[in-house]
Amino acid sequence: MLTYTLRKLLMLIPMLLVITFLIYVGLELTPGDAVSFMVGPDALANMSPERLNELRDALGLNDPFIVRYFRWLGRALQGDFGYSLTSGVPIKTIVFSRLPATLELSIAALIVSTILGSILGMISALRKGSVLDVSLTVAGMVGVSIPQFFFALVSILIFSFNLGWLPSGGRTLPGYTTFLDRLPHLVMPALVLGATMTAGVMRYSRASMLDALSKDYIKTARSKGLPEWRVNLMHGFRVALTPVVVLVGFRLPMLIGGSVVVEQIFQWPGIGKEFVAAVRGQNLPLVMMIALFTVAAVLIASFLVDLVTALLDPRIRLE
Amino acid sequence: MDTILTVDNLHINFYTNNRCNEAVRGVSFQLKKGRTLCLVGESGCGKSVTASSIMRLLPPLSRIEEGEIIYHTDQGDLRLHELDPNGPEIRSIRGAEIAMIFQDPMTALNPVYTVGFQIREAFMYHTKMAAAAMKEKAVELLRSMRIPAPEQRVNEYIHQYSGGMRQRAMIAMAMACNPQILIADEPTTALDVTVQAQIFDLMNDLQREHNAAILLITHDMGVVAELAHDVVVMYMGDAVENGPVEEILTKPAHPYTSALLRSIPVLGQSKSQKLEPIRGSTPDPYNRPKGCQFRPRCDFATEKCLQDPETFDVSADHTVKCWHWEKVLANA
Repeated sequence: MLTYTLRKLLMLIPMLLVITFLIYVGLELTPGDAVSFMVGPDALANMSPERLNELRDALGLNDPFIVRYFRWLGRALQGDFGYSLTSGVPIKTIVFSRLPATLELSIAALIVSTILGSILGMISALRKGSVLDVSLTVAGMVGVSIPQFFFALVSILIFSFNLGWLPSGGRTLPGYTTFLDRLPHLVMPALVLGATMTAGVMRYSRASMLDALSKDYIKTARSKGLPEWRVNLMHGFRVALTPVVVLVGFRLPMLIGGSVVVEQIFQWPGIGKEFVAAVRGQNLPLVMMIALFTVAAVLIASFLVDLVTALLDPRIRLE
Repeated sequence: MDTILTVDNLHINFYTNNRCNEAVRGVSFQLKKGRTLCLVGESGCGKSVTASSIMRLLPPLSRIEEGEIIYHTDQGDLRLHELDPNGPEIRSIRGAEIAMIFQDPMTALNPVYTVGFQIREAFMYHTKMAAAAMKEKAVELLRSMRIPAPEQRVNEYIHQYSGGMRQRAMIAMAMACNPQILIADEPTTALDVTVQAQIFDLMNDLQREHNAAILLITHDMGVVAELAHDVVVMYMGDAVENGPVEEILTKPAHPYTSALLRSIPVLGQSKSQKLEPIRGSTPDPYNRPKGCQFRPRCDFATEKCLQDPETFDVSADHTVKCWHWEKVLANA
């Protein structure tokens, strides 16, 4: 298990390197360079090409591409990600003030959808063909088909406007300091963000559970005289869980991507909202860095999924 | 000899796609202590269904329609066919009194738990052993099944075992609580011939040590000759012939049994040995022939065979369901 973990961890490094390289190529391809942004348009018109070249030399912008990449990578590793073009604030500051909110939202959505989805799927499979199973299947179809923005708006209308149970947006209010204070703000965005995934996980875990229940070892477990709950949970559900975890892993990028829409609607001060603003303002360095952080988060999450599946299924541990 | 299990006139129907399949239609036999009874027949003849019904492990869309399954204990008779298939009574019998091993141990053992854990599960519900004692007993069981390095193997998973070892682990699990009856559903079909012999040796030893009754399901006549004391031949859900192994193999009284025996190649005979396959093919269970099920494929068939055959006594413990059994015997 330890060698498996280490191997998976080591595989993260080349992947991250490739991604930083692609991000840097993306930055290179954007029009203009640092000098053209540092020097105002009026001053630029009056500057001689020699003077501009001197500036570029001083900043190292005339060095070969690969040299500049490694210099950029070195700075990034030290936490210097450059500056936002629109506000001049260090990107590091922006990312670190916004990332926790997004992580909070995504993780809440992930936990809710995984637990709810797999348990509902299991119940559905155990009661195959019953009224409950059919209604859950219909609910699952609806859940998969409804677009997030529509679902978000409808729930704001019902739970904030009509019923007044939950706040319609924002992450916190002045004076709210603990997580419990902020919890009502989290409920709706997390549920909306998790809804599609809950439906997906539910349908998948139902199929996976039905598959597990049809296996011979279920009959073996019964033939040992084990009670039904143990047969279903420990022999059926336990085996059915592995493919579900893999599915959850594949859905992670969608969860983070989906948070862009949800954060926008619920005015959630996360990185997704910042991302939309940066794209609109053509703030390319910020866009690239946010992309880098998102990809890194997805990679780390999929590493964790690998670990969990290996814990669940001993056959994965030894290739 | 002590009878431990009586199956009498058992009928089981399967209800799928709004059609009814009479999978078992009137099977009777008696299983005796310390003896091995072989249920023989081709695929789909109802032998596995019969075996599963004893443990009440039939799939949801099937039902025991008629007949009795009686387990004779020292405390009196238990009418298994009347128990709730998910109830506590049958659960206390499963694994403890009657245990079962299956055809393919790779799929019959759970891939995500260690072999030791799966053996200990049987103890958890049938004994009051402490955790440490269970662990020790599991190692001991694996050792008695001649699995090398049992202390280490007990913590391994089924995919780390070889084919023969898997089946031995499966038998270890079944024998965990010293059951009175072991039901083996084609236990060696998925194994090499050499490994088959080891498994049979093991089962013979177990029978001698524990005086257990074994109900062995097979389609292999070689296995029957080697292990069986008694044989029940099944065809299309019927037990067509029932008797001691010597009589069945040498003096078959049912045309199906005799045809089955003639269709087996014999090792050591010259290439000129003529194999006689049974002509025709098994009828569609949804569109059964009238009367004797074997009639369309039988050389002895007459008008009389359009009626369901009665059971005749060939000798004291040898019965057959055929109108023309005397002709079959004379012909052999």
